[in-house]
Amino acid sequence: MIPLQISPFQYVVNGLVFSSIIVLAAIGLSLVYSIADFANFAHGDLMTVGAFSALFSVSFLQPVLGDVGLFGLPLWFFLALAFGMLSAAVIAVLTDRFIYKPMKGSGSIGLLITSIGVALVYRASVFLSFGSDSDRYGVARQGPIPWVRETFGVAVTPRNLVVVTLATVLVVALHLTLTRTTLGRKMRATADNADLARISGIRTSEVILAMWLIGGALAAAGGVFLGLEELVRPRMGFDILLIVFAAVILGGIGSVYGAMLGGLVIGMVHELVPLFNQWGILPVGSRYAAAVAFVIMVAILLVKPSGIVGESG
Amino acid sequence: MSVTSWVSDTLVRDPSERRIFAVLGIVTALLVVGVLTGVVGLSFLLFQVSLVGMYALLSLGLNVQWGYAGLINFSVAAFWGLGAYCAALLTAPNSPLGLGLHPIYGFAAAIVVSALVALLIGIPTLRLREDYLAIASLGLAEVIRLIILNERQWTAGSSGISGIPSLLPWLPLTRLATTASVVVVLGVLIYLFLRRTHRSPWGRVLRTIRSDEDLAKALGKDTYRFKMQAFVLGSIIMAVAGAFYAHLNLYIDPSDLVPLTTFYIWIAVILGGTGSNRGAVVGAAVVIAIREGTRFLNDVPAIGSLGLDVAPLRLLFVGVLIILIMRFRPDGLLPPKDELIWPAARSDSSTANRGAAVSDGGEDQ
Repeated sequence: MIPLQISPFQYVVNGLVFSSIIVLAAIGLSLVYSIADFANFAHGDLMTVGAFSALFSVSFLQPVLGDVGLFGLPLWFFLALAFGMLSAAVIAVLTDRFIYKPMKGSGSIGLLITSIGVALVYRASVFLSFGSDSDRYGVARQGPIPWVRETFGVAVTPRNLVVVTLATVLVVALHLTLTRTTLGRKMRATADNADLARISGIRTSEVILAMWLIGGALAAAGGVFLGLEELVRPRMGFDILLIVFAAVILGGIGSVYGAMLGGLVIGMVHELVPLFNQWGILPVGSRYAAAVAFVIMVAILLVKPSGIVGESG
Repeated sequence: MSVTSWVSDTLVRDPSERRIFAVLGIVTALLVVGVLTGVVGLSFLLFQVSLVGMYALLSLGLNVQWGYAGLINFSVAAFWGLGAYCAALLTAPNSPLGLGLHPIYGFAAAIVVSALVALLIGIPTLRLREDYLAIASLGLAEVIRLIILNERQWTAGSSGISGIPSLLPWLPLTRLATTASVVVVLGVLIYLFLRRTHRSPWGRVLRTIRSDEDLAKALGKDTYRFKMQAFVLGSIIMAVAGAFYAHLNLYIDPSDLVPLTTFYIWIAVILGGTGSNRGAVVGAAVVIAIREGTRFLNDVPAIGSLGLDVAPLRLLFVGVLIILIMRFRPDGLLPPKDELIWPAARSDSSTANRGAAVSDGGEDQ
């Protein structure tokens, strides 16, 4: 039997795709952690809500737009992505308005526990509207891009490229918003020190609204990409929530750039576990990929609780 | 001392709680009438009593960690699962280990293993900020679940372990009557033990740590050690509940070790009243009522005809319940009041306080 030889670069490609998804989810989680000051356990299920909203919009977008394509994917997929991002952003804002905001006095632990309730409500709503089966967006199967495969010996599908490119575009857009706009500067100030920001006259309500809009939209993008790469499942978001937390903690809670870096590292490690196993670095296989991410998270909490990017203390 | 004054002294501490106990009394009376008239099967009732007892043990265990010491432990299901797996692996003749030992060894192993794992998890996490502990413990619980799921040669993986023997077969009772009595005895013993520890100097230190850890440190207490003791004690109680479940259900597989089980226990503790042992028991009964009650929703013609799946409805109900409790009754149904005051010390001051409370209109504090 010829041993199935997979190029190590194939794992790196898979890692980049998974990292893109984790980075998008981690940014929103980190924003909420720093600005609203609680660990939002509903963030994973918000990704699911975004992915299913996009799925819902496919049913009316596809008949209208037909087979018009863009970058190797049908045009309706991009519009469905936008629809999913918009609905998740709106749902995040409404959840804050009606559930988190009236609970100002109950502290970060009260909000943390409440967010578990919110997560269950999101997931139950998805179950009730779409059933418990997994689904697909119906993007036609595509093989790997031939010339990449011939030149580098690595399978890269057009949808891989779209996921990584769009994630990069979204991250760069967020970076520009944070650094070049007044709102972005207000957000960074509030994340840094909410009390100081309030004293300096920053209207934090505006910042909080922007935070939920951005966090919700990016979570939905992550959810849609996860659904595109794998399947659209009602438990998809919750299942990767802990990996997203691992990324946020690794990068340093409260730092958006830390979340990006942490997401990249955790996503990559998650996909490289089989390779490490082959090389004899890790004694476990891909079934323990998530466990490896959690152990890294606990190790970081022990050694440097402020994360890679965060300051000490 | 008359019965009523004993009840009002030990259980009902407040006029507002009387309503809650009245409702509980009515439900109990209805169940008894149901059994006598044959509407409710006796074995069904005994199974539910056993489940409530097991959930009460889990809630009491979590109450030691969260209610006494303020530790956010999201690995309840993992410790429960460790206990259940210790019992199943050691006692079932067709487990991968094939030992077929007496159940007492299963319980002993559950206690030892859960204490060791609690130490292993506690050493890195208990120094962390409280919300970090929440995330880390959920992550480590998932690691335990993955190990049980994947190490088939030791745990039988997803196919689970069957053929677990029942408890105390020599008792002249049916199997379910025996398990129900065992859990009631276990529950009462642990309840009394925890009530005693809560009032002890140890319990008072934990309470100080929960409300102000810096103060406890300033008083010269090694808060890390106290938190570790609470964490280990709570985890052992959870594992005992798990070992009991193995002998109640006679079958165990990794599907019950999911985080949702942990969240059920959290609801029980918060709903009952964080820090209150009475509340933990009542909360456990309410959660079982929700879990088991929704099973019958499909039998209601109006819901059955809609063709809805009950599982997501239950999930929705549980989620809404968490949000509503946290918003409108964060102290729970039976919040701890003067339990911590030693009974002898209470006799004078509490009558005065009660008089004052009544003159204020008996408002809840």
